Amino acid sequence: MTTIDTNTSGVPARILQSPKHWRNRKHEPHWRSGDEEFDAAKLGMWLFLSTEVLLFAGIFCGYAIFRMLYPEAWANGSHYLDWRMGAANTAVLLISSWTAANAVRLAQLDKQFWFKINIIVTIICALIFVGVKFTFEYGVKLPQGKAPGAFFSYPNAHDVHEPLWWSLYYVGTGIHAFHVIVGAILFGVVLWYAQRHQAYGPTQYTLVENSALYWHIVDLIWIFLFPLLYLIH
Amino acid sequence: MSNQSTTQAHDAHSDHDDHAGHEHFIANWKMQIGILAALLFLTALTVGFYNFEQWVETAFEVTLPKWVNIAGAMSIATVKAILVAAFFMQLKYDKALNTFVLLFCLFCVALFLTFSMIDLGSRDWVDPVKAPAISAGGTSAGLDAVAADEDFSVLLTNKINTGGLSLVEYSRLHGNENEHGLLYYREKGQEATFWEHFYDGHAVHRDSMDEHNFFEQLGYGHHEQTSTANESHPRHGLTPGLFSDVPASTGHTDDGHGGGH
Repeated sequence: MTTIDTNTSGVPARILQSPKHWRNRKHEPHWRSGDEEFDAAKLGMWLFLSTEVLLFAGIFCGYAIFRMLYPEAWANGSHYLDWRMGAANTAVLLISSWTAANAVRLAQLDKQFWFKINIIVTIICALIFVGVKFTFEYGVKLPQGKAPGAFFSYPNAHDVHEPLWWSLYYVGTGIHAFHVIVGAILFGVVLWYAQRHQAYGPTQYTLVENSALYWHIVDLIWIFLFPLLYLIH
Repeated sequence: MSNQSTTQAHDAHSDHDDHAGHEHFIANWKMQIGILAALLFLTALTVGFYNFEQWVETAFEVTLPKWVNIAGAMSIATVKAILVAAFFMQLKYDKALNTFVLLFCLFCVALFLTFSMIDLGSRDWVDPVKAPAISAGGTSAGLDAVAADEDFSVLLTNKINTGGLSLVEYSRLHGNENEHGLLYYREKGQEATFWEHFYDGHAVHRDSMDEHNFFEQLGYGHHEQTSTANESHPRHGLTPGLFSDVPASTGHTDDGHGGGH
């Protein structure tokens, strides 16, 4: 494993001399140090993440209210979902969260090869998650008429408020899936700059760190969405 | 070789003297893989708990209280979330300010959820007539319980016999039977229709002891008064259904009650 670790000897001069290479990048002049820049960026990311939590809190609150009002519809709705799909996707997201955390560590250690491998695995996991959701969940349920609100046409419904359940299901998981796609794009950008310029290393990894934080919060939200939608009835 | 890469990292730091010697925390890979294993184990545990609970209910023909299901799933989810936040997001090793941001956000979420639940769950404590609005299964103002008579006097008891059909299927088959059939309520919006009639019968507050009906005089008798961009009309009395159409504003402002201008 150590033999694969990159060091400057094997790297083409084109990359080493790139102004975007992490060794050649300095903090922006309006910061006193790279650390201050990094900490500020991270604090900004945390503030953004807290707004993300509040965004999903609206959905969780809607879930709680409607579950209180229409417990039968909610119990039925939960039984329409296959917990195996949810559990599989949970495992996929947890593994990708781990690879994202690994990517940060490897960037800090300047292990460029394994850093990129971990980013790639994270992106693949994101695609698996979205693929499973669209193919085996949305793709199966929508043709059955288990659609949100006014589009609902499932003939074997047992509670009039089931369309509402599906609305909440599609909005909650849909917004979450959107975040997964955004996270995959973020990691794609990271991978692009890492491959092209070796842009991330021990002193320059802000984008890696913040993308990973974003990814973890997406994982965190799924950690709550999964039991709420699939397991609680 | 691994020593070399570590040395590189230190070299890189010394290249940037303005770093003032501060080192970022670098996670231990063994710890990280342990956290992943714990998270996957907890996922298996919560799924196992769910299936175990289902099995107990069928095998012993008992109905477990609802909180067992919720408490089990949510407590495991909380432990998982703490693991992710503390170790993958490195809050444990990070500046306390970032943790504070998250905790303050969660505090706001807690306020948000708690007051919504208190509101919804305690309406009948203040006014018992509001209890049906939060009764199990909802208001029964939907397809399955449209009362035969328009004033909804038997709303909560007079359920339609669907003859074994699902409610949605039944309403599709019988919706066109008459003007006040199910389809009538569906097209108008069932709950909207329900509350429309409900308010017609309750324009005077149920508990109002004043013969002058100050409730009415204050402008609270008519639910048509809704807030607009320029004037706000607080809605008193029974809260309309969650899905009721908001009636168009009548726009009158000379009723002695106007809210904020």
